[in-house]
Amino acid sequence: MPRLELYSPEGLRIDGRRWNELRRFECKINTHPNSSDGSSYVEQGNSKVICTVQGPMEPKLRSQMNHDEANIEVNISIANFATFQRKKRSKNERRIVELKNTLENTVKQCIITTLYPRTLISINIQVLSQDGGLLSSMTNAMTLSLIDAGISMYDYVSSISVGLFDQFPLLDLNTLEENELSYLTVGVIGKSDKLVMLMLENKVPLDKLEELISLAIAGSHRLRDLMDNEVKRHGKLRLKNLN
Amino acid sequence: MQLSPAERDYLYDSLCLQTPIRPDARNLYQFRPLEAKTTFLPGSNGSARLRMVDGGECIVSIKSKVVKNESVNSLLECDIDIQGHRDDSNFVSNLKYNLTNLLTKNFPFDALRLTKKYSFKLFIDCIVISHTSYPLTIISLATYLALKTTRLPLLVSEIDDEEVEEQPTFSDDWEDSRLLHEITGQTFQPPIMITVGVIGKNLLFDPSLEEEQVLENGLIISFYNNKAITPISNMNLALNANKDNYKGIDQSLIISAINMVNKYCSAVIHALDTLIEQDDEVDGTIF
Amino acid sequence: MEVADIISISKPSKFEDVDSDIEMSDGEEPRDNGIVTPGELVTDDPVWMKGHGTYFLKDNTYSSVAGNVSRVNRLLSVIPLRGKYQPETGDHVVGRITEVGNKRWKVDIGAKQDAVLMLGSVNLPGGVLRRKSESDELQMRNFLKEGDLLNAEVQTVFNNGSASLHTRSLKYGKLRNGIFLTVPSSLVIKSKNHSHDLPGDVSVILGVNGFVWLNKTNKSTSNSVVNNKLQSTIDSKGNYDPGKGSVSITRLEEESSWEIYSDKNDKISATVRDNITRYYNVIKALSHGELGITEQRINLGYQASLQFGNIGKLIEIESMENICQDIITNERMRGSM
Repeated sequence: MPRLELYSPEGLRIDGRRWNELRRFECKINTHPNSSDGSSYVEQGNSKVICTVQGPMEPKLRSQMNHDEANIEVNISIANFATFQRKKRSKNERRIVELKNTLENTVKQCIITTLYPRTLISINIQVLSQDGGLLSSMTNAMTLSLIDAGISMYDYVSSISVGLFDQFPLLDLNTLEENELSYLTVGVIGKSDKLVMLMLENKVPLDKLEELISLAIAGSHRLRDLMDNEVKRHGKLRLKNLN
Repeated sequence: MQLSPAERDYLYDSLCLQTPIRPDARNLYQFRPLEAKTTFLPGSNGSARLRMVDGGECIVSIKSKVVKNESVNSLLECDIDIQGHRDDSNFVSNLKYNLTNLLTKNFPFDALRLTKKYSFKLFIDCIVISHTSYPLTIISLATYLALKTTRLPLLVSEIDDEEVEEQPTFSDDWEDSRLLHEITGQTFQPPIMITVGVIGKNLLFDPSLEEEQVLENGLIISFYNNKAITPISNMNLALNANKDNYKGIDQSLIISAINMVNKYCSAVIHALDTLIEQDDEVDGTIF
Repeated sequence: MEVADIISISKPSKFEDVDSDIEMSDGEEPRDNGIVTPGELVTDDPVWMKGHGTYFLKDNTYSSVAGNVSRVNRLLSVIPLRGKYQPETGDHVVGRITEVGNKRWKVDIGAKQDAVLMLGSVNLPGGVLRRKSESDELQMRNFLKEGDLLNAEVQTVFNNGSASLHTRSLKYGKLRNGIFLTVPSSLVIKSKNHSHDLPGDVSVILGVNGFVWLNKTNKSTSNSVVNNKLQSTIDSKGNYDPGKGSVSITRLEEESSWEIYSDKNDKISATVRDNITRYYNVIKALSHGELGITEQRINLGYQASLQFGNIGKLIEIESMENICQDIITNERMRGSM
């Protein structure tokens, strides 16, 4: 595919967005109240992710018990039908194990883990549809379900990807763009400039890095606000019922 | 799940009464309420999400692929993924076998034939997000909904392609796509499976997790075109349960169970079909 | 016979928009300041002591959960909208034994960690004067084993948040003659008394932890009888003394028999079993409607449920919502009288 199609001279991307425009972002909290301690559903463009949290709870195995802080595990399952071409995936695929480790490291920095010694927090992520921004949508869904579970966290972690087309940074890539461009994904703490996660797997010119990251941070802040709206909406609804 | 002896006795005694009393007072032929949504995965030919009040939940996607007739054994492939269970575990393998077996034996394969050389192959992927009781009911009913709403693109190339080197081509317009029963011109009612608990002289549909713990046996009965059909099998529905109660099954009970399925399960199909009719919203979101 | 008698399949309920609801309710000011979310500044006044649900950074106190701010004396905390049950001393809970260990049982009480019940914190057959011996340690499973349900009081809460329990009172101990269910612990409103005798020869223990036990009322140790005998477990000096004053001397004999650890149910009539399922469904309905669960509401719900002759109808979402609506209407009318 000729690279020009990805970003027209008029400044439009293949799906009609501008360089700094997010895709449609929708999220719901407490989607699985009868089967989990916390849950959420996130749609970023055509990517769809369900996340459920169990815990903090008594670990089934002694080996899962940590005496000073919570033991946190992330399980990722990508549906066979999540991509355009159906593909049977094994849970031990290297790519998935890598994402799992990245998410575990990220979440350990945001949960106040010392409040939950000797417990297990189990986070299950189910990807139903994948159209770019996989890591980012999983991170956002994870944040929401942890909040729903009432687990203490320092702040929201919101996440988005940015890519580089020629000299232009592009926000929130879809699959077509991800396949063609160098891109990175960040996880941002709340409204701060602090990153808890940075995933960059291709080459990016060093002098462009700062510009990319600041665009990503701005995008993440926007997502944090959208998630915060949903948490507050849900909270009000719940309080209304209680009174 | 482990119940205390007193709880087990209480449940067992209640369910064995001449007029049995289920924990939630359901009738013996009554299912737990369900919530369902179809056609929410734009990338799939058919999809359904089904959730039970106890939190059990299943998502099914149907995807089609054009294959050469001679290159495949079966035009259906089922896969089941259950959170917390290994793909190669007995639990998952059994469910997968049951579903594949039932569908392969009762499917209008004509609807999948495209040309002399090519056919559609359907990939049925079930994801069980959570379950408490034995998940076959939710898997089976969700698969019904997904198959019933599966649309296949309209073939525009020649059916006789014996001499042609090209692959089949399809109409670009999704409006032209057709449901399976529209292709065959006959009514298509995918087969379903019903779980029936056996306790004392009583039979109960859709046993809950608590009920499963005290059952004396479990039956899985298939239902297709408004009547009970084979395969019919029996199993211990409770996973890792104390097997104290588990015992052989009286053949008269098998007959009664089949009669019960014949009598009540048309209502299940009716409820599923009604939902599909009413589920006309095209919005993509599922929660 | 109608289809709905056999199965009901509904579309997922539409997502409720709060804002439009608030507009409809006349003149009531929405309290927008109600909810804080993680990372939100709660106060920059260092005078507050930081409690649960908050953290402290450079003189500022931030929320670590989504919930309501609570200010009690000098203590500032945020109460999460949802979350696991957090045990507090004195809570009346229902629990299930998960493990039998060395002189102790582990008990699932729906908290983030299992609670501990020490062999020394239960009454053993033979009465209080009886000395505990090594043989007791060896036969712990004869008293309580994995899967057994009991009701108990939280004796201590340790620094790491885990709890220890005791059953040194007649109203506590092993459970039988009934059925177990769970509701979110946030829906159980703490009160002086968590075991109630309900009409229809049914009793309920509404564990503060959201574990609920419904059983046939035991005539000899009827909750109300025990409760009348129950003096406060806090003595005049304000010292907490578990079990003290809970048992009059005439009851010692009864208490000391092996019966308190029996696994056998009494004879229970079909009528009582029917009543128990009705209460079961009423409590599930309250939980579905996210209404706080109290004895009064269970009673109101029970009355409202009588319009359904077929108790099995109560599990349908529409019926559950009906019942909750009836309860709310009923309460409003009582309030206005």
